Amino acid sequence: MTSISFRGIRKTFGSTVALEALDLELQPGELVSLLGPSGCGKTTALRIAAGFEIPDNGIVSLGDNDITRTSAHRRNMGMVFQSYSLFPNLTVAQNVEFGLRNRKVEKVKRNSRVGEMLELVQLSDLGKRYPHQLSGGQQQRVALARALAVQPEVLLLDEPLSALDAKVRATLRDEIRRIQTELKTTTLFVTHDQDEALAISDRIGVMSNGRLEQLGTPEDVYLRPASPFVARFVGSINELPNVNGSGQILVRPEDVTISVDENELTMRGTVTRVTFQGPVKIISVRVDVVDQLINVHAASGSVHTEVGDRVSVAVAPGRGIIEAA
Amino acid sequence: MAVVKNLLGKSGPKIVILVTSIFFLLPLLAMTRFAFQNIGVFDLSWSKAFDKWTFGIVTKPFEDQYFTDSLYLSFKIAIGTAALTLGLLIPTAIWVHLRVPKARVLVEFMTVLPYVIPAIALVAGIVVIKPHARWFLNSDLSLIPFYTVLALPFTYRAIDSGLRAIELRTLVDASRNLGAGWMRTMSKVIVPNLRSAIISATFLTVAVALGEFTIANVLLKQTFPPFINEYRMREPRAGYALAVLSLLFTIFIFGLLSVALRSPSTKSHQNSPKSRELS
Repeated sequence: MTSISFRGIRKTFGSTVALEALDLELQPGELVSLLGPSGCGKTTALRIAAGFEIPDNGIVSLGDNDITRTSAHRRNMGMVFQSYSLFPNLTVAQNVEFGLRNRKVEKVKRNSRVGEMLELVQLSDLGKRYPHQLSGGQQQRVALARALAVQPEVLLLDEPLSALDAKVRATLRDEIRRIQTELKTTTLFVTHDQDEALAISDRIGVMSNGRLEQLGTPEDVYLRPASPFVARFVGSINELPNVNGSGQILVRPEDVTISVDENELTMRGTVTRVTFQGPVKIISVRVDVVDQLINVHAASGSVHTEVGDRVSVAVAPGRGIIEAA
Repeated sequence: MAVVKNLLGKSGPKIVILVTSIFFLLPLLAMTRFAFQNIGVFDLSWSKAFDKWTFGIVTKPFEDQYFTDSLYLSFKIAIGTAALTLGLLIPTAIWVHLRVPKARVLVEFMTVLPYVIPAIALVAGIVVIKPHARWFLNSDLSLIPFYTVLALPFTYRAIDSGLRAIELRTLVDASRNLGAGWMRTMSKVIVPNLRSAIISATFLTVAVALGEFTIANVLLKQTFPPFINEYRMREPRAGYALAVLSLLFTIFIFGLLSVALRSPSTKSHQNSPKSRELS
């Protein structure tokens, strides 16, 4: 278990600033997700950690060692890529063994380690297959086993689930978390999928335009967003004009309460749509005072209302953040 | 083909294929007949179409003292050309793909130049530098760099399409991340996955090197094509028999190439997108 830290990392590609003064430290054994839209700099940060890119400024440290300019093949890091990265000419077992051979581990130890890793990702029977004979999910599991086989000090995951279908994605996501917790490997996970980040991270770093907007636990990021960008990017949000001042109020659908009694809550409106989503239903209400639609999450059995009904809504006390104009 | 179908009806494509085949095959058949049928052109008739065929003449060129030497030299040059081509081309193409992808169009254009500029123009250039580079041009192996240039339009395309077919950047990154240096990444990851492309490039290079006449003739190198030319003047029938043999050898090489590229092991190395969907 080792910590990894980025201090004042800046990286530009031509005139484009990919990272602007990134400061981030991962504690030993911690899983931190970098979450953000395309082009926010999260993958650049990961590639800098891996040694595929050299920052213009700043220091990357592994434990107490400055590795900013250490060549990629001399850093003891495991990485799982977004696209399928298994070597097509090697079998599953040979793929997992590749890093161990590079480290000149003797054959008996190599074989036993390959066996352990394939068992860990539950693919013990597929060692002799070639990558093209595996499904996408199996390929990514092999890639994970290959990355972990070398006992990396840090595991880097570059959107490893994005090419998979929803069901496989959810299963593999939980498996990654199980294995990471079991091995206590410090892990940097890059994703643009907030559900993934919220589900498996110890902490989440939300990025925008090369900057870290907020770094905190999933609860912090979701319930106490540090900026309107974080509020909008993580989870869904209602944007209401601030009737008591300038700017807007940003409030999550589950932080809005609804009553079928038109006079009970502060804002009146008309139901325009009801979408059943299993445990919750999403009720869209056009609010009279601001003539704007807001979505309300209500437990499925709790509120009985239909399109055209008159209702009243209110922001739950202490919820929502005000965005200045 | 649709246009041909409109113009000539249903059997249009067949007619086109037939005419094209006759255009290519007739001269070859005539050459083969001249070499292997011991009947003068003026004595030919349909009744004698199968008379006096003899294949013994094919052994005659083997008895010539220069046959083995010229063939050996041609093979030596072909192997040297293939080695130089692959040694230069693979790292260059990888470098262009990884580091300067924007330069790909320029490199492609440059590699087409030997195809656009005829060999005779290259020869004119050689004549100019000849007095200053006799030490180099006197060696038989001096043909290697010229043939490397001549083969570029074919070889670069083969390697380039091979590189496009694999996820080069990801594979290189994965290999480096797993502790492999550049040499090991090249030998264990990139080259094995470029197997088809390398085989294609090698065969194409060998075909160019074994068949090139102009430069070898101007530089007075006794490679196989100038030998065939000279031998044909001395022994017309045996010379043409040799030409037929050399043609069959080339066809054999390309047959071998297509077999090598279709082998199941090659297929197993390809990461077919279809199989990825089996999740």
